[in-house]
Amino acid sequence: MSDQEKDPVVHSSLSKPLFIWSALLVLSLVWGLYDEMYGIRPWKGYEARFEKLYGRYLKQAKLPEGELERQIKSSAEYQRLTREMNAAAAEAAPAAKAIDEKVNVIVPQILALNDPFQEVRSHIGSLTYQIEVTRSESGKNSLRKQIEELKQETRKIQLPGWAEAKEMKFDDMNVLLLQMKAQKADLLQQRVEIMKKTTEISKQRDEYLTDRIPGASTETLTSVQNSLDKFDIQIRQIHIKDVDLVDRCESCHLGTREPVQLTAASMGGEQVFASHPNKELLKIHDPDKFGCTPCHGGNGVALSSVTKAHGYNKYWLWPLHHKENIEAGCQQCHVKEIVTEMAPTLNAGREIFRLRGCMGCHRYDGFDREADEMSSTTQQIHQLDQQKAEWIRQAGFDEQKANNPRTSDADAKKLFQESNDLKVRSTGIDAKIEQLDMRSRSLVREVKKVGPSLKEVRMKLKKEWIPVWLKDPHNWREGTKMPTFRLDDYEIQAIAAFIWQSGVTGQLAQQKPGDPVKGKEAFETRGCMACHSMGEGAQKQGGTFAANLSREGEKANYDYIVRWVHNPRQRTEPYCAYEKKDLTAEDYSKHNLPFVFDLEHTKCPNDGHELQVQQMTPMPSLRLTEDEARDIASYLMTKKHDNATYQDAGYMDDPNLKNKGLALVRFYGCAGCHEISGLEDEQRIGTELTKEGSKPIERLDFALLGHQAEEEGWETHKGFFEHKLADPAVYDQGKEKAKQDRLKMPNFNFSKPDIDAVTTFLEGSVDSTMPARYFYAPADQRQDIIEGWWVVRKYNCMGCHRVHVGQTTVFDTMARYQDPDWLEQKPPTLIGEGARVNPEWLMGFLNNPALSETDTDRDGVRRYLHARMPTFSFSDGEIRKLVRFFQALSSQAAPFIAQQVDPLTDQERTMARQLFTSEGAPCLKCHMTGDPKHDAKATAPNFTVAKDRLQPGWTKRWILDPAMMAPGTAMPSGLFKRDGDRWVFAGPTPASFNGYTKDQADLLVRYMFQFTPEELNRLRSSAGAGAGKP
Amino acid sequence: MKKIWIGAGVAFALTLVGCGGSSNETAKTDTPAATTPAGGAGGDAVPDEANGATVTGKVAFDGAQPKMATIDMSDKPVCVKAHTTPVKSEEVIVNGNHTLKNAFVWVKSGLPDKTWKIPASSVELDQTGCMYSPHVIGVMAGQNIEIKNSDPTNHNIHPAATVNADFNQSQSPGAPAIMKSYPRQEVMIPVKCNVHPWMRAYIGVVSHPFFAVTGDDGTFTIKGLPPGTYTIEMVHEKYGKQEQQVTVGAKDSKTVDFSVKS
Repeated sequence: MSDQEKDPVVHSSLSKPLFIWSALLVLSLVWGLYDEMYGIRPWKGYEARFEKLYGRYLKQAKLPEGELERQIKSSAEYQRLTREMNAAAAEAAPAAKAIDEKVNVIVPQILALNDPFQEVRSHIGSLTYQIEVTRSESGKNSLRKQIEELKQETRKIQLPGWAEAKEMKFDDMNVLLLQMKAQKADLLQQRVEIMKKTTEISKQRDEYLTDRIPGASTETLTSVQNSLDKFDIQIRQIHIKDVDLVDRCESCHLGTREPVQLTAASMGGEQVFASHPNKELLKIHDPDKFGCTPCHGGNGVALSSVTKAHGYNKYWLWPLHHKENIEAGCQQCHVKEIVTEMAPTLNAGREIFRLRGCMGCHRYDGFDREADEMSSTTQQIHQLDQQKAEWIRQAGFDEQKANNPRTSDADAKKLFQESNDLKVRSTGIDAKIEQLDMRSRSLVREVKKVGPSLKEVRMKLKKEWIPVWLKDPHNWREGTKMPTFRLDDYEIQAIAAFIWQSGVTGQLAQQKPGDPVKGKEAFETRGCMACHSMGEGAQKQGGTFAANLSREGEKANYDYIVRWVHNPRQRTEPYCAYEKKDLTAEDYSKHNLPFVFDLEHTKCPNDGHELQVQQMTPMPSLRLTEDEARDIASYLMTKKHDNATYQDAGYMDDPNLKNKGLALVRFYGCAGCHEISGLEDEQRIGTELTKEGSKPIERLDFALLGHQAEEEGWETHKGFFEHKLADPAVYDQGKEKAKQDRLKMPNFNFSKPDIDAVTTFLEGSVDSTMPARYFYAPADQRQDIIEGWWVVRKYNCMGCHRVHVGQTTVFDTMARYQDPDWLEQKPPTLIGEGARVNPEWLMGFLNNPALSETDTDRDGVRRYLHARMPTFSFSDGEIRKLVRFFQALSSQAAPFIAQQVDPLTDQERTMARQLFTSEGAPCLKCHMTGDPKHDAKATAPNFTVAKDRLQPGWTKRWILDPAMMAPGTAMPSGLFKRDGDRWVFAGPTPASFNGYTKDQADLLVRYMFQFTPEELNRLRSSAGAGAGKP
Repeated sequence: MKKIWIGAGVAFALTLVGCGGSSNETAKTDTPAATTPAGGAGGDAVPDEANGATVTGKVAFDGAQPKMATIDMSDKPVCVKAHTTPVKSEEVIVNGNHTLKNAFVWVKSGLPDKTWKIPASSVELDQTGCMYSPHVIGVMAGQNIEIKNSDPTNHNIHPAATVNADFNQSQSPGAPAIMKSYPRQEVMIPVKCNVHPWMRAYIGVVSHPFFAVTGDDGTFTIKGLPPGTYTIEMVHEKYGKQEQQVTVGAKDSKTVDFSVKS
């Protein structure tokens, strides 16, 4: 081995380490570059993909649309319009050309003259300014002289088209310029006139095309394509300064606001690029003003990963709402509403919260406010009474002191004065109490309980049924509102005993049996099923607002049910909130008063305060006869399971169990939903939930499930609510707890959609940090809509009526009402009600739907309907809210001013009457006239009283096209046809119409709105005479 | 040796760069272009009566003609006048040969996926003597129904369609016939007149030409069926629906009888 061979410089190579290092260097460089470009900027990839996919989609989309467009363009009509347009253009062409030539001469002349003119004018302008700032009068004069000289100076002006130049002064130029400009304007106006026909046809032709292409037209697509050509990869953000909101969501969600509706399918399956599904919603909530995250949640600033941007980490307080709870975002600003348009899940959640009795235990701002107001009113009355008593006592002491001869004259005078002042002030308290009494008079009507009164159990129920029910209400009646409490047998016995023993006792009239067959028919057609359902499992039909009555016969007492069906609000004993007791006949006889208490007799005989004279149920009176009530009750008594047996429950009379039961009833918060003797003033036992969605997560007690929740990713508000709602005892799992320490919330047997709805509602119930302008608190008529919805929901108006577009009623779902004869038996739609009826009439109707004090076994308007508009005994406030609600929905101005109609001539009155009674016109064949014989077969409202009920403008729109307002209505369309600019009757008209040139639909409306009793007689006699003729 | 290493290094680096460049591309296949919309004028398939199969049959009625209610027209004198004897409801009409009239029979399923030609002729539905005539009609989806008013009084025609668009049109005496067609299959659409609530007719709208209505002899014939297995359904306003299966070959003649009990 030579030295050379040993020399490491010669022999050892560094190429290996060098290579490794250089490779590492290159790798880290590449990695660095990649990370810089895409790794921490994933949105760049999204943008690049979006551009590619969108471009591809647009190309495709153009094809079918383009084909359709070609078809339309080759259609005869389009061709005709094109021909006409071309002809018009050709016709106008020579004149237009002549004008264009003239304009082409003038325009360069104006431009050429403008320069020298402006030069002089600005010179004069600057001199004028100098005059203004020069102090000495001589200086001013010299400047004025300069201006004058400038004006007199002539200039050589050569305008295009002029043979030779002219000498012109400033004023000459001014005049000429104005002249030429006027001439130009004139010519252009002429041109517009000449081209008018062409422009109009061209517009028609464009409309013909756009009316027939459902999606985006090729033009829209092209313009989108053009903007896509300028697509830049950059961060797209919305910045709202006053809230300091930065939302960069659209850096990835690029299709959100595209004019072309993009779906995941059209964008290669990438959901991220889909357009916002509800453009209408975006229109109201412009993202440039509202941003994205205020509604959707998530971290709007974050761009580095999807998880971060969506706020799905432990430390981000407002994570993105999941799809099933997406409407939670609505709740934070629409917090005052029970119904929010376009938020069906949220509305369902609110409705469950209200209807299923969540609000009985959990306070929530705005829900069950009548109950809160009721207790605060009673309390205030008490305080004021005490105050008054104190003042009167003090006044007495003062007088006593003053009357003492040892008191000095001066002091006595002062004391008398003081005593008088106190008395006077106490009369002010009387006035205040009077106001509060009036309010409680309304509240007595408004306050409702979720469940039935338990004061009445002894009269209403079979004793043995109560413990069976308490054990598992859902097992006994599927889908009931009553939740299942986790009670042991002893608890059930104690509660049953308490309820039974605390019930009032009273006399029920003995009822003779009714006819269950008739009762069934009445139950199915009177409207009971708009709220109640009948049948079990797949057989179930009817509404879910109130109880399913398939087993009513097993639990109820017939005599009581008759009373209940006849008037559900009737109580056995009135309750005096002031004295906190149920009054008996004795209380009345003490004062020599009959034991009568109803909405006309509401004062407590003992203290004069307002009594609770009604059952706190939303169930209305259908104004049935007693016979019909007996029929329905008899039918209900037949509804039972054949093999049902109930064990003896003698323990329910054990007085020792009663106290234990009272404690349990209080513990479980039964009084939240039921009226119970002695527990009328119970407070809610649950947590307030108004801001539950923003409660810090560490304050939600996941108990032993915390770790599991974290691992499984449901340690969130959503996860907490969902698990709790599915199994209210879930957070007791594994806990060693005494019975009384365990979670009390009962099981509501919620379905998955129910849980989603309630979770949505609670997730949105947050302490919002948004500024006031975000909140939906309109000061205009929309406020009336918010208020009205609460009443509409409370009484389930939507069980019978369509109140808003897209809604179905219970009648729509019932088998019987699919038959064409029964279709027309559905209660009327209330869409557009505000424009249809006179609000004053509506107020009267809501108060008394029979429209009669004496003849109440009828419907005031539609006597031919089997279903009946019930008497709800609304308070004045509720009626006002309902009327304003309908007014606001139809954009009616308040206060109401009736529309005027033109007076009728005698001739016109005769004509209208003849038309109404002619064989060619169907009006009187269906509409009631108030003649009992005729009305017996009538199937439409009485139009002779239309003037009190309807509005003329609506009436005309209705008779012209009823199907437009109420699809499926019995009122036929096509009664009138267009004749020039008026409407004429489509059928044969009486001879008197010959030569009548006015609008015939108007004539009939004017006739209806100027109807008199005399005219009614004339109409009836001519209808009778006409009936004999063919 | 050195050169190999360096070369390999460069190649490696280049590969990495190459990968970096392409890793951002997502492999997505083109979605197929949307199909062009079908024309609205129906297809061109017609029943082949020469080579197709024929299904005939009758709807037997077991029992006596049920007593039909007399229609009370008393409040509409024009209607009363149109009849010499009181008019009975047409809900159930039993023919002399113990068969049921006005039953609608149609091929409910089993047909090949074809678009059938819509007949150019229209089917008449007349209003005469304040009754509909005929009481039951069948049309193809898209085929015109010609609604006439032969009465000297006003009628309104109000079919209660559920999967087709609803209409309710007034028709004065002497007014021209109203032409209507239903684009979708619907068996049956009840028709009523709100002015004369007793009036009732039924329209069977079928997406193909294989249907029939039993007449005074209670029989029906469906011609030109392609070979195959079919579900034949009989529909009657009072007696509901019945189904039967039938398999036919080319030029076959099969009988499918239905039977209804009172």
